[in-house]
Amino acid sequence: MKTFLIGDNAFIGVSHLSHDHARQRLKELRLEAISRVFETAFSCGATGSSFTVHPTNLLILDALENAGTIGNFELYPILPYAAGYVRAVNEKGVSGLISDLISRYSFSDKAKLSLRAGLSTLALDPTGMMRTYIDAELLPIFRRKMKLGSVLLHEVVTDLAVSFQSRNLIDSYMQHIRDKYSVKPGFVTRNLVRFVKFFRDVNLQVEDIVIMTPVNKIGFQMTPSREACEGCLSELHGANVIAMSILAGGYLNLDDAVEYVRHLNLEGAVVGVSSEEHAKRVFTKLREIAMPPETMA
Amino acid sequence: MGMLHAGIVNSLSGIQVKAICETNALLAKFAKELLPKPIAYYHDYLKMIEDEELDAVFIATPIEAHVPIVIDIARTRKNLSLFVEKPLAATHDEAQAACKAVTGLNGVHMVGYQKRFSPIFQRAKELLLDERIGDLMFFRAQAFSSDVLRQGKSWRFTKGTGGVLLDLASHVLDLVMWFFGEPESVLATRRRIYSREVDDYVHATMSFSSGVQGYVDACWSMRDFRLPDTLIEVQGTKGSITVTDDYVKLEISGENPFETSVEVEHRQSFNTSVPFLLADPEYTKEDEAFFSAIDSKRMPELSFVEASKVNALIDRIMKFSEGNRST
Repeated sequence: MKTFLIGDNAFIGVSHLSHDHARQRLKELRLEAISRVFETAFSCGATGSSFTVHPTNLLILDALENAGTIGNFELYPILPYAAGYVRAVNEKGVSGLISDLISRYSFSDKAKLSLRAGLSTLALDPTGMMRTYIDAELLPIFRRKMKLGSVLLHEVVTDLAVSFQSRNLIDSYMQHIRDKYSVKPGFVTRNLVRFVKFFRDVNLQVEDIVIMTPVNKIGFQMTPSREACEGCLSELHGANVIAMSILAGGYLNLDDAVEYVRHLNLEGAVVGVSSEEHAKRVFTKLREIAMPPETMA
Repeated sequence: MGMLHAGIVNSLSGIQVKAICETNALLAKFAKELLPKPIAYYHDYLKMIEDEELDAVFIATPIEAHVPIVIDIARTRKNLSLFVEKPLAATHDEAQAACKAVTGLNGVHMVGYQKRFSPIFQRAKELLLDERIGDLMFFRAQAFSSDVLRQGKSWRFTKGTGGVLLDLASHVLDLVMWFFGEPESVLATRRRIYSREVDDYVHATMSFSSGVQGYVDACWSMRDFRLPDTLIEVQGTKGSITVTDDYVKLEISGENPFETSVEVEHRQSFNTSVPFLLADPEYTKEDEAFFSAIDSKRMPELSFVEASKVNALIDRIMKFSEGNRST
């Protein structure tokens, strides 16, 4: 394993143990403190960060940039930010959401996104619209000239595409990410076995993409079972699988969690951290996988 | 919700999505282009059920369209099974019309109150039935979300959809009745905060024949709720049970503070394995329950009649609070 990413759950009020605690903790967090969490994580071996394109995360990127924390580390944005879009559709309807998304960008940004043709032309071409959407969501990152590790498709979209065997959607997405951003396209999935089967059924290469999926000792969110996912992982030679939920949402202790994932065929792991002390413990422990203590000077 | 159920159902063994009826032209175009060809698209659901050989239909439209569609389909195809996303109807009268429309038909008719399929809420019900906290005294329940933080234009805000009560609170009201039965009496107040035609906040106090009393607070205009959140806390003579979407906590008081026991079971401690996971596992479990009921030709627990009780309670809350609403 060589990719160790900071996850964003703690910064957007998500906890799989208790959302009320996460909300409370979030109210006490300040951007400067988050910057320090990132600095600590990077000094202890984190190589990047994975986050949904949530407005709060964009504030964090600003803070990191201002603090000079962003150096060589890689960003793995996940889009779309599903919960945010459900809310926006509630407020404005689907067409209202799309108009709103487009109107958020300046004239020059619109020019970059080729949006001057307007909404009606775009609506004629759903895959074109998807590309426009991706570009619009990634603009804030592009503006900052940050290094991308991958761009990941949110699990709800990935898994819907898998359920419907929608090669068209997957192809358009992968091609756009490769062509425009020159990185491996990524997919978050909670259905690893189905996902891999689908890719193989339609002759797509799992080696050319990044897969982020739950992997943990108790099989939390591993579908259809931990054993099936373990079997699938062991056959995925050369694939770039980044484990998420290795602590099963904070349910497992760090030593047990890391001991379980270290023997699996993984490219890396993403772990949400909420304090400097937590970041230090998590990434020091994870770094032991890449560099076992006996090999360290 | 239609997309969510379609994704889950299409991945279940032996089940296939054959057709989708969507009246929004943009959404229909997206789906046609991005989803594979064997799925047929319709603008008219009656034409869809006439042209296609279907076993079941999922109705995941705006609430006020649920019952007219149920009645139309029941009249046309008597053997189709129907799954209606919660709540069954906008009013109790409509819910009863839906129940009447399917009476005597062959299919299975279910409503999607998926929290009953959460192992956490199931465990809470078990603990209540086991009388672990002694005689039940009272409860407080809440349903909060950040869905409405400004004035909106979508169907959710139009008159007749019932606002926060139907959209958000229906889940917690269903759970409260699943735990305690139907209330004997109801008092309530409600108010509009951002919405012009519907309520954004509701407070309802209720009492039950067992002597239990309690209240439900529902508000969809709370800040910082990334996802809707449910909480029910029940106080008994020997302790308390607190249940949320994430955990169930059992506190039993001892002879002194040092003997009080606290047991917390998180979602992770339950078996939540499903064949396909999209959003929470309870959605897959509820869809499995629907198809299992079709296979066994038995009406599921969450039948139209059962779900119409939520509409009855919502009507009572609306009626009582008619004179107690601030705008």
